[in-house]
Amino acid sequence: MSDLDPDAAQAAIEHCYEQGWSDGLPVVPVSQPLLERFLATVDRAPDEVIGHLPQFDRSVTVELAAINAGMAGCRPEYFPVVLAAWDALVLERSTGGGGWQSTSGPAPLIVVNGPVAAELGINGAGGVFGPGFRANMTIGRAIGLIVRNAYGIRPHVLEQATQGLPGRWTMCIAENEAESPWEPLSVEAGVEPGVSAVSATLLRTSEFVDNRHTSSAEQLLADFADTISRTGAWIFRNASAGVVFCPEHAQMLAAAGFGRAEVRAWLAEHCGRMVSDLAAVGKDGLGEKGVRHADGTRPDGFDPLLASAEPKNLLLAVAGARNAGISMVVRIFSDWSGRAVPVRARERAEVGT
Amino acid sequence: MPNAILDPTGRAPVPRETTGAPRAARRPDLTGARIGLLENTKHNADLLLDELGARLVAEHGAAEVVLRRTKRAFALPAPDELVAEFVDGCDVVITGVGDCGSCSASAVADGVVFEAAGLPAAVICSDAFVTTADAMAELRGAPGYAYATTAHPVAVLSREQVAERAEHLVAAVVALLTDAGA
Repeated sequence: MSDLDPDAAQAAIEHCYEQGWSDGLPVVPVSQPLLERFLATVDRAPDEVIGHLPQFDRSVTVELAAINAGMAGCRPEYFPVVLAAWDALVLERSTGGGGWQSTSGPAPLIVVNGPVAAELGINGAGGVFGPGFRANMTIGRAIGLIVRNAYGIRPHVLEQATQGLPGRWTMCIAENEAESPWEPLSVEAGVEPGVSAVSATLLRTSEFVDNRHTSSAEQLLADFADTISRTGAWIFRNASAGVVFCPEHAQMLAAAGFGRAEVRAWLAEHCGRMVSDLAAVGKDGLGEKGVRHADGTRPDGFDPLLASAEPKNLLLAVAGARNAGISMVVRIFSDWSGRAVPVRARERAEVGT
Repeated sequence: MPNAILDPTGRAPVPRETTGAPRAARRPDLTGARIGLLENTKHNADLLLDELGARLVAEHGAAEVVLRRTKRAFALPAPDELVAEFVDGCDVVITGVGDCGSCSASAVADGVVFEAAGLPAAVICSDAFVTTADAMAELRGAPGYAYATTAHPVAVLSREQVAERAEHLVAAVVALLTDAGA
């Protein structure tokens, strides 16, 4: 006879479904003692407002974020990372407007740097986009439940995603700092080396680049440029993108003298399409509002995809196993804030269990 | 006694608004009315509103389009100053086009605000977004808020097709803005 009561657990889970609190998968019903364990991990007032949407007059507090993180299956010690991820997403232009309601159904990409990744078991190596790792899956899911429950943005009602995208609430990855040849993403994004931090943006989707075919850095970059430059993902005058390089690709580029800045400069110059290519798909016209449209009158020439070589237009991270030349191009919804948020955990000794 | 399961929404149960939000008084017709247009940057929204404004003047005796503004943050409620500008300078306002996930709900929210400020409003939404528009009306205490719909999609229409849409919409807009819609 066990002390654990599966029947009570099932009834509690069903209760949460009945309230409309679930994203479709079972949630962990949160009680006051569990909430207090979450709140004990941070030095922040439970009623601190960490997000507000004026169109609904709905707010997210630290306490509501903690309840939703618990429901998502996070352990209490993940909570400082959930808050940093949320704060990083609030820095994104699109999340303060209509991003969460959008027909594009954008997904957070959350990148964790620093010692917290190993401490919490956030995967940055093989199978980094999941599934299989509790911290990766539940930290991302916590963001989704906050949007659903605290903002009240639910599919088919205030959330109008036409199709959404696979893995929408589960793209939380650690950067593979051990095998990256470059400084951590968080350092590029303004946080001191060695300090745990989270960078985040919204994605429309991702697409792999499998190149185990060349030892030329330029040929490899040209393969990325081709994928990044697809017309389907390009709707405004310019677009933003990102690459989550596997260690093999990153190391190959670094060995050829490419740092992050050089990779971005090369891609900013080479990503784009001829006006005639864009005309063939009805996206050559450049109106005053910045949305492309069918025009047909422009002389041929090269339209660069990226507005600039700044990080906000091209996020570069390193993650995955070093076992193959397989990287991921990610499609950024608007642009990236370019700023990482430090993880602010209360000193560990003070954290109750 | 087991612990309670905590609510993740932060919403206190609020009594459902039963009386509905205030609605501006209507005039019997649009004779001499000063028209305001608030377009939300969605493709073809400006064309559609211009066509409607022109038809109200040409066919329904409206004085003229006196104010035409663009709402920059289409997902968010119109700023107070912008609302005041319409309330001060116009007799009726047409706004839209609610043609995206956030701007459809937002257009309805603006309509509710205009009505509360005493300005009759005609909100136009694509018919693909009625659920989210209705949900916003309810959130704003105006369940059942009436607006005009046009078939989805709007963004890909040619100039001529937009003019046809306006022709079909104009009766609904007049009904929304006058006693005929009461």
